[in-house]
Amino acid sequence: MKKYFKIILPIAYIALVFLPLVQVVQMSFLTTVSAASTEQPVFTWLNYYNLFTSPTLGAAFFNSITYVLLNICLTIPVALPAAYAFSRYSFIGDKHLFLAFLAFRVTPPVVLALPMFKIFSLIGLVNTPFGIALAHCLFTIPVSIWILESFINAIPKQLDETAFLDGYSLPRFFYEILLPLLAPAIGVTAFFCFLFSWVEVVFARILTVTNGKPITMAIDALFGFSTDMGLVMAVIVASVIPGMVMFYFVRNHIAKGFSFGQT
Amino acid sequence: MKTLNHKHGWAMVIPATIILSIVGVLPLLTVINYSFFDIFILDKRFWIGLEWYQELMQSPRFWASLGRSLLFSTLILTIQLPLGILIALAIPKRGIWVAICLMTMSVPLLIPWNVIPIIWLNYLRIDTGFLGQFFDFIGVDFDWKFNPIHTWLALILMDVWHWTSLVILLAYSSLSTIPTAYYQAAAIDRASRWQIFRYIELPKMSGILLMAILLRFMDSLMIYTEAFGINSGGPQNATLFLGIDLGEQIKAFDYGPSAARSVIYFIIILFIVWAFKTALDRQKSGGLK
Repeated sequence: MKKYFKIILPIAYIALVFLPLVQVVQMSFLTTVSAASTEQPVFTWLNYYNLFTSPTLGAAFFNSITYVLLNICLTIPVALPAAYAFSRYSFIGDKHLFLAFLAFRVTPPVVLALPMFKIFSLIGLVNTPFGIALAHCLFTIPVSIWILESFINAIPKQLDETAFLDGYSLPRFFYEILLPLLAPAIGVTAFFCFLFSWVEVVFARILTVTNGKPITMAIDALFGFSTDMGLVMAVIVASVIPGMVMFYFVRNHIAKGFSFGQT
Repeated sequence: MKTLNHKHGWAMVIPATIILSIVGVLPLLTVINYSFFDIFILDKRFWIGLEWYQELMQSPRFWASLGRSLLFSTLILTIQLPLGILIALAIPKRGIWVAICLMTMSVPLLIPWNVIPIIWLNYLRIDTGFLGQFFDFIGVDFDWKFNPIHTWLALILMDVWHWTSLVILLAYSSLSTIPTAYYQAAAIDRASRWQIFRYIELPKMSGILLMAILLRFMDSLMIYTEAFGINSGGPQNATLFLGIDLGEQIKAFDYGPSAARSVIYFIIILFIVWAFKTALDRQKSGGLK
């Protein structure tokens, strides 16, 4: 009985997760017909053809991927030393700083969107992928510090001490010993940066006024007087694929790592 | 024990602190500044002190939306947390199944937030949507547009679908750090399944579960994009949450009132994070290791 339960529960959950998505995939392969007409939707590749030949959608994908990668490149080098410091040292104000970082992670973008736009337009970062990448650091840096810290906590402290006794300087220890050890951790962190940056809408919307529109906005722009739902669904399917690819690379590391609060 | 090392410690957190000052502290100060002014356009503004705050504190609309958001977050947590833990416990510990389970379950997390309501409105359609047809089949006249209870149900189902996977991922990853020796010892002592969960798994997971609680509580408390996409806070403000109320005010360019509101929200956030951190410290020192 218990054995069956263990098999049925995950499968049932996966099935429920996939039901709405099956419908999306199904519609992405059907012709769009208006509600008033009597013709039946038929199978077609047209939506995907339109997706790949549309210059706006292509540019939108390119913009999204650009700022997500920029965000990862900004976040990881900054979060790594901070995570190490939180894990290994205790310094004045460390608890308060960690608290402040956490508070910024859970601050919804909508609270800071307006002043962020004002500040970024002053320094000319509106409509640029770099602007969005920087704005997304608000939540990717705290999340990355947290993930990396829990990975570093799992590395015995003796390793650092031995290396320092052997004459390693801190930067050299970081580069030659810690980084190779943390490679899976960095992969997982990059995945979570990707995840939170790719799906975010509020900053991405307010910081792109005239150009540099990300894929999220391109999907919104497809809605109009007569929406081509087939094309919308095809774009939705395509927008999930980069994340799946990222997940595939880190699939074996994602399950082992977090052990927050058990230093 | 951690080493006391002030110099290195601070030097290493400075880059992160600088970036977060630019994208976090600076906008926050700007918002606090705006909140004391009546602003028509940004060049013409009048100092009015705490007037926006007084207005907000006396507005029943604000307290109602705060109540709705708290109710929503509580419902979300009571569903997602046990469900996430239960499913994480059911996923096998090793083998090819692990990657397949985690990967397929995480798909909703990878979908852009403004797309989530598009998918769900489609899913809920009575003529073509699977869930809409299901409701129709069991004889429920599901009307998310005009029936407040049905809108709430749609939002809760959507959020559970969207975010339970995060709880599963976190719970599973902390479960996988428990050494097999613990389970062997429990088997020797003839511990029941419940005892294993209560005295081995739950204490091991407690740190990460607190984190999951914080993330899920705050994100659902301040839900905006997904909830707005379903019914824009309707019907008749029945799903007007904190985030939606603020978002609408910003769209209307009400600088002063929306800034005051943002400051209030930030104070709520700080208070909850502080409470969470206190709980985490207590759990760390409480011998639950």
